[in-house]
Amino acid sequence: MNELIVFGGLAGLITLCSVLVVSLANPVSAAVFLVIDLFLLGALYASQGADFVAAIQIIIYTGAILVLFLFVIMILNLDPQHLLLQRWRFLEKFSLALVVAGFAFIGFKMLEMPATSDRLANHPMSDNTQDLALMLFRNYLWPFEIVSMLILLAIIGSISIARKKKADF
Amino acid sequence: MPIQFYFCLALVMFVCGICGVLFRRNIIFVLMGIELMLNGVNLVFVSGSTFLKNLDGQIMVFFIVTVAACEAAVGLAMVIALFRRYGTIATDFYRILRG
Repeated sequence: MNELIVFGGLAGLITLCSVLVVSLANPVSAAVFLVIDLFLLGALYASQGADFVAAIQIIIYTGAILVLFLFVIMILNLDPQHLLLQRWRFLEKFSLALVVAGFAFIGFKMLEMPATSDRLANHPMSDNTQDLALMLFRNYLWPFEIVSMLILLAIIGSISIARKKKADF
Repeated sequence: MPIQFYFCLALVMFVCGICGVLFRRNIIFVLMGIELMLNGVNLVFVSGSTFLKNLDGQIMVFFIVTVAACEAAVGLAMVIALFRRYGTIATDFYRILRG
């Protein structure tokens, strides 16, 4: 029961923040709501016993990625003319209806799954971090190295894309 | 707690992300929509991993977070470069590939 209250509160707030993120006109307030959203998602992970993933979520998403978003928004210094542009013609209405219908279908199919409630979030996952480390460095060592190469490439690529080039002036 | 609740919440987040990608003309909102979609997928992975008592899902979350960070960095660098070159980040403006 307690768990249901925690989930309900977090889920309501996460839904509200997600809707606000995509519907607000000002990108700064949208980014702030995205921070709150991802923070609450970290709390939801922690309530499921996934402590390390919750820490990663808060450090990387709300600490790094969203700060990057806010910096870019502030660097660009958009005037209000840029902020309010959004389209809402027939094609968009039609595709929104299609998206909502398709995902509502998936949701109803999901609700028909057998409800096995006793197995979820009721067990102490002690040493979660240690188990994760063992798994990451034994079973998933090769993908881990590939991902480090991906990060290196992303660093080089983003620097070379965002650098000032003489041809632009 | 039925796992369907978590899946439905992830579905809501994913739909919000799709709406951000489809209906906003500001590239920054498109990138934020992509982040929302990735987080919905992460929620499915974590709740599935807790449900099945199998840590593979949480490892996948690491990789998804890493790819999301790379995507955000490169995407925002592209936003800066495009804004510097053309002075706008409205998606309707960029129709170079449309022929």
